[in-house]
Amino acid sequence: MDAVQLLSGAFLLVGAFFFIAGTVGLIRLPDRFSRLHALTKADNVGLGFIVLGLMPLAPDLFYGLKLVLVWLLVVIAGATGAHLIAKRALRGDGEDVL
Amino acid sequence: MNALLTVFDLLLTLTLLGLALVTVTSREPRRAVILFIAFGLLLALVWARLRAPDLALAEAAIGAGLSGALMLAAARRASGRRTSPAEGSDAEDAP
Amino acid sequence: MSPFLLSVALVLMAGIAAGLIRVAIGPTPSDRMMAAQLMGTSGIGVILLLAPVLAVPALIDVALIFSLLAAVAVTAFTRRRITNDGD
Repeated sequence: MDAVQLLSGAFLLVGAFFFIAGTVGLIRLPDRFSRLHALTKADNVGLGFIVLGLMPLAPDLFYGLKLVLVWLLVVIAGATGAHLIAKRALRGDGEDVL
Repeated sequence: MNALLTVFDLLLTLTLLGLALVTVTSREPRRAVILFIAFGLLLALVWARLRAPDLALAEAAIGAGLSGALMLAAARRASGRRTSPAEGSDAEDAP
Repeated sequence: MSPFLLSVALVLMAGIAAGLIRVAIGPTPSDRMMAAQLMGTSGIGVILLLAPVLAVPALIDVALIFSLLAAVAVTAFTRRRITNDGD
């Protein structure tokens, strides 16, 4: 159990905490925009810390680059999806009005 | 390690079964499609757990992604065709 | 290190199981889609953690496909409905 593994474990714990917070927020928060906020925090920061924690365990450089690529794609998809859902909820396109 | 893996499998299987039950018993088309997408994601997770990355790839790409998008479009068209206001898409979650 | 990774994956799996509640009861379709998106992201986390535990490095490609298709599903979901049945 050296320092690198300890650091990696700490990052993984922080990531898991953000995922738990996002899930609890998604279930408990009252309205749609706060839930969207909780969801994007869990997506970006939680997965970012998980990837950061897994990085020292990567067997080679290519694997590490793939990990970063996964996180980048999730960030792009999360931002796009959050904007689309929020815009659609604001406009109320006739199918989603409360 | 083995006990943890067993707990993981048990949780995965129970979630999958519950999701399948909710999907099959849901009445509104778009809700069923969204649940189906989530079901496909979990099924891909099961294949990944069974050490079959190729099957997980196929399930995630075809089962959850492409057919999910196609069925969302189909559900939108289907609800657009409806004429009677009682079954219109505004009554999404009618009990 | 492996049991620790597996326990973190177990925590994320519990998050997926809890997100199922919001998918099932969510009042609007947007809520369901958001919960499905969270399940997808947690699934990516679980797969990334399972890859070293099961010693199957190819699982990271599955995570890549997951992250690509999350955007496709949300975009297909938020497209406007065609009001006139012309096509």
